[in-house]
Amino acid sequence: MTLREPAWRVTSRELEGSLEEEKGEGERAASYLLSPFGARMNRVLVTGTLSPAEPIGRDESQPFWRARLTDPTGAVAVTAGSFQPRAMSQLRSSTAPRPAIVVGKVHLYRGRDGVGYVSVRAEGVRFVSENEERGVLGDIVRQTLDRLDLLERLEKEPAVPEEELVREGVPRAWVRSARDALRRYPHVDRAAFRKELRSAVRRVAGDSGPVAASVAPPPTVTVTRAPPPRAPPPPPTPAERQEESVFLDQLDEIAEVSADGYADLKELLSRVAVRGLVSDRAEAVLNRLEEEGVVEEPIVGKLRRA
Amino acid sequence: MAVRETPPVVPEVRLKDLAPAVSPVELVARIVMCERREVTRRSDGSRRPLVSGLLSDGTASVRFTWWDPPREGIERGMVVRAVGAEVREFRGRPEVTFSWRTRIGPASPAELPRIDGDDIPFRTVRELAPPVEGFRLEVRVVRVTPRSVTVGEERRVVHEGIVADRTGALAFSSWSDFGLVSGEAIRIAGGYVRGFRGRPQLVLDERASVLRIEGTDLPDPAELLRSAPRSIARVEDDGGGEAVAVEGLVVGLLPPSGLVYRCPTCQRSVKNGLCRIHGQVEGQLDLRARIVLDDGTGALTVNAGRADTERLGGVTLEEVRRRLREQPDPSLIEEELLERLLGCRLRVRGSGSRDDFGVTITPESIERVEVDLEATAEELTARLGEDRA
Repeated sequence: MTLREPAWRVTSRELEGSLEEEKGEGERAASYLLSPFGARMNRVLVTGTLSPAEPIGRDESQPFWRARLTDPTGAVAVTAGSFQPRAMSQLRSSTAPRPAIVVGKVHLYRGRDGVGYVSVRAEGVRFVSENEERGVLGDIVRQTLDRLDLLERLEKEPAVPEEELVREGVPRAWVRSARDALRRYPHVDRAAFRKELRSAVRRVAGDSGPVAASVAPPPTVTVTRAPPPRAPPPPPTPAERQEESVFLDQLDEIAEVSADGYADLKELLSRVAVRGLVSDRAEAVLNRLEEEGVVEEPIVGKLRRA
Repeated sequence: MAVRETPPVVPEVRLKDLAPAVSPVELVARIVMCERREVTRRSDGSRRPLVSGLLSDGTASVRFTWWDPPREGIERGMVVRAVGAEVREFRGRPEVTFSWRTRIGPASPAELPRIDGDDIPFRTVRELAPPVEGFRLEVRVVRVTPRSVTVGEERRVVHEGIVADRTGALAFSSWSDFGLVSGEAIRIAGGYVRGFRGRPQLVLDERASVLRIEGTDLPDPAELLRSAPRSIARVEDDGGGEAVAVEGLVVGLLPPSGLVYRCPTCQRSVKNGLCRIHGQVEGQLDLRARIVLDDGTGALTVNAGRADTERLGGVTLEEVRRRLREQPDPSLIEEELLERLLGCRLRVRGSGSRDDFGVTITPESIERVEVDLEATAEELTARLGEDRA
């Protein structure tokens, strides 16, 4: 079943910090960008001040336009080409920075040195009043806080069952993406991000005027940004080493007999659980091994030796 | 001299207890649906008549096949007693076959198992997945309206509406007038649930019985119809619902939106001058919008009719008709609608059904919503302030 991808409500800052991709398999599979704050984005909805667009690309028959959307937390590139004719004509029509809502698909461009650059390929662009912009920004901050709260809850109680969260009103998909975020971004400073959201709330309250549009970068320069710095992990204790070897033994055993050479994460977790390594301990071991580059997860749910 | 075989005594069973292990059986049931056909034998090409359809005794419905039936006298609604009917399983459900070995004859409805008895189980709305029958249900009538329909030659009044208990709401249609009034609590026995347009629907006919009860733990109908919006993710999870309320932003329109042609008989949209049911017709102009509403947790489709489309899009069908003479491209109307609607915040109430593409809502009301910026800012400041400590 192919449900329409929801438009995740995110700030520019969250998009900027998103570096982990999840590529779908099979024909026409959607791919996702995982954010450090629990969004698993294919489509997003962002709002802010949209600068006038400029054409990029030299091919006349393949027009492509780019603008920058700036909100109180940062800025993100918004692009549209001939496959998004409506959005492109909206981008082209604007001559001065104006508040806008943009719905589109996220793209992560990864340069040769591994730094990521996120943009939004617009499907719909609408110029709005400041009040509308503030209203949508309010939604964005609220849902971002909801996701942050969920992350913190899952960190405190890793074993809380999905059904319990769903009963409390958490969307099912959020539980999964929050767990992924915790695993993929173990050292992200969420408190700092919360502080950055304050400027967005001031904008919702109307205490600050519209954000001045940042100047669009020249088309030839790619904005680069290194991944967030990671603190060096403490050296593992002998007990942890022991757990790791249990984990790796089981991984090798499963990978040996599997058709694709990968070890299925679920199967692995159930096997190590039998050997006394229950879910949150196993997750911690997996994180450490991934961190050290011993194990990698090229496909979500599939592990192999790096 | 051959000894004449005495037919073995077969047990009389209810349809809910049918199992291929116990065959043949004796049963009493009503024919609720039947169709006469002929099949061609592969061996010699001769044709063999049969009647197939659905039997029900109030405890369950099963399909039946009646080989070499009498030429006439079999019709919907008649009650039959069959001795020596064979039971087999097809796709996991039991079916019965009447063959030359089966003795079958008309029976009186009084011989049907009593269905308002105390021995049939209570179910909650959430537990009822179609097709199911042979249950009792305690619900409150949330809403009921009579509607006049044509069934074959005759006009009949069907009472349609919603009933609900604490676990959910269910659409119903009643073919007998039980004098239902919205707000009252009732105990129903002898109804059945079928799938109708992708949603379960409770059907009450003359065999059903309705009893007024106290119903203190049943929900308040007004509350149910005015409930606060739920997240779209939750609505998707539930597979729609009878009284759904959601709030979100318009993120797109799905085709066909804008100007459409409809069949004058059935109101279905007409493509290339052809109606899906009535063939070539002179389509009538109409306005509609299939709105994609998204609240960040999920997305669903809202099928807005002409009145809502005119109000939200700020256009009227008359205006569009006039403009069409000068500007004959109807897709411009869709563009214009999208431009006006994109990013609008809407609250939608109605019934939702789910298929492979997600949830679709048939709206009862669509309202624009204004955000209270001050309250929002206060709420968010408070939430952010928590971690200052």
